[in-house]
Amino acid sequence: MSTMLMPEAAREDVIDEIAEHDTPLRPVRKKSRRGRLVIYLALVPLVLIVGVFAYYPALAGMFWSFFDWNPASESIFIGFQNYITMFADEIWWRSFRNLGIIFAFSIVAWVLPLLAAELLITLRSERWQFVTRTLLILPMAFPGVVTALIWGFLYEPNQGVFNRFLEAVGLENLTRNWTGMPDSALMALLFVGFPFIAGLPFLIFYSSLQNIPREILEAAQLDGVGRVQRFWRIDLPLMASQVRLLVFLAVVGALQYGFVAYVLTAGGPDNATMVPVLRMINVAFSGGDWGYAAALSTTLFLITLALSAVVVFSGRRERAVTDGGAM
Amino acid sequence: MTTSTATLTSAKKSAAPASVGRDRSGRQIGVKSALIALIAVSLLPYLLMIVTSVKTNEQFAQSFWSIDFPLHFENYGRAWEQVAPYLWNTILVAGVSIVVVLIVSSLAGFVLARYRFRGRNLIYGLILLLMMIPGIANLIPLFVMMRDLGLLNTYIVLVIPYVAGGVVLGTILVRNFVEGIPQAIFDAARVDGASDARMYFSIMLPLSLPVLGTIALMTVTTVWNDFFWPLLVLSDDSLRTVSVGLQFFQGQNATEVGPLMAGYFIASLPLVILFGFLSKYFLAGVQGGMPGSH
Repeated sequence: MSTMLMPEAAREDVIDEIAEHDTPLRPVRKKSRRGRLVIYLALVPLVLIVGVFAYYPALAGMFWSFFDWNPASESIFIGFQNYITMFADEIWWRSFRNLGIIFAFSIVAWVLPLLAAELLITLRSERWQFVTRTLLILPMAFPGVVTALIWGFLYEPNQGVFNRFLEAVGLENLTRNWTGMPDSALMALLFVGFPFIAGLPFLIFYSSLQNIPREILEAAQLDGVGRVQRFWRIDLPLMASQVRLLVFLAVVGALQYGFVAYVLTAGGPDNATMVPVLRMINVAFSGGDWGYAAALSTTLFLITLALSAVVVFSGRRERAVTDGGAM
Repeated sequence: MTTSTATLTSAKKSAAPASVGRDRSGRQIGVKSALIALIAVSLLPYLLMIVTSVKTNEQFAQSFWSIDFPLHFENYGRAWEQVAPYLWNTILVAGVSIVVVLIVSSLAGFVLARYRFRGRNLIYGLILLLMMIPGIANLIPLFVMMRDLGLLNTYIVLVIPYVAGGVVLGTILVRNFVEGIPQAIFDAARVDGASDARMYFSIMLPLSLPVLGTIALMTVTTVWNDFFWPLLVLSDDSLRTVSVGLQFFQGQNATEVGPLMAGYFIASLPLVILFGFLSKYFLAGVQGGMPGSH
């Protein structure tokens, strides 16, 4: 969930910017030669930082993915060998299967934040709305690693909450080593942070529900539309435009998923919770196969880029349709 | 899922009379109890952490669920000794990252928003492109680069990715914000003879304090939460930041739940307090907008 906090946040902006990419013209001032120099000087730190620590490593990673990369000594050019290895790497593909499950689960899990947002806007008391909203998003303030470690503690086989609870209600035969068994480990990881309300989906659902014009709701009320009917007929259709963004964020979030798995299961047992990020790190840091890790890293990078492009361009088409239409 | 359908129907029950116009005072007991149930489930793990943090192992074994007296606050003293260095490291790294990110991105965002020059769209486009790529894809090559530069196990290596990520987001946020400031203000300053530097310091910086605050908060949360980078570039325990430090701490104290939970709580507290005071900026940052824009 911590990964949800950062760069994705402004992605909506970015998607819009790229999709439109026309900067409004403003009055141009004639600048002296010295003035121009100052402008460029102001951009030097940005360009240096981004060039050296973002673009260079990304490109270097692509370059070295065609080598048997030994950073300490000599590297041998091996063409597409690393990528061929990748296609035969069962653990890598298994990690993508897990990724698919993680992605599907995170989409299904939106039911809960959606429900919470609907309940919240149903409240008429402003004070209640404020207090409940604050408490619902409070878990966001806890560091991700604390949440993961606490859940690890809840799953603990001997004194964890889940097994204790099952024993207390007489269901001893359901107790298990939640994160230690291949059949339950992935599910155990996915339930970390239940009920998943404190996060970006909830905030987006809530703010788009708040932005529904009052007139629409009043008209619906006059027509005798009930609360549940309103959800299907008004709320959901009006949120559709946000869903594209959320799906994109869910894909990127799933691709970056890793640290909860690292903390709780380290990808095990028997690779049941292996995800691409962990596989990449294992290949590099345990296996010492840097060229192959670079190939995996480049693959992840290209997948993300391709998905971003899909979102940006589908957005452009959608916008063209809506702009040329009713408005 | 059964609970969610149950709460949906209860929401319907309590909302339906309102649409008829009855019960305007709005007790909405169904809606409220559903929300309270969701809040309880969300916060239960954290409450359990706090309750357990003042227990000894014996108390934990005997009364697992409830608060048990006497409260053992000395757990906090023991946890603090171990967790405090991680906190100071995190604060130092976050502080340096924030200063660099704010200087670089406020300058660049200002220039990109207010001046037209050759290469402007190219630079901005290259920055936007980076927003599309998660930092995790750079992990391996960036690590090798740092190792080649001999920077592993230093504070510098910790700051680098947060600065590199922060200036990207920061520049975009500052540029969008400064574009929204009316040009008339800058024109008036120009007429009064203000230099470019004067406009940056006296107009742009004071006006963009909210967005700079948002960027600072986002940088703090990133440093606090980032896991893999400090895990991989540090082997020296005295440099560890909170997230990796806590994992190490967990390994050291796994047998003593009281101090363990106290340590988790201490590590969370600074962020929770920040959140409490600045939740408006916090949310604005998460949603990628400005405070009050939603």
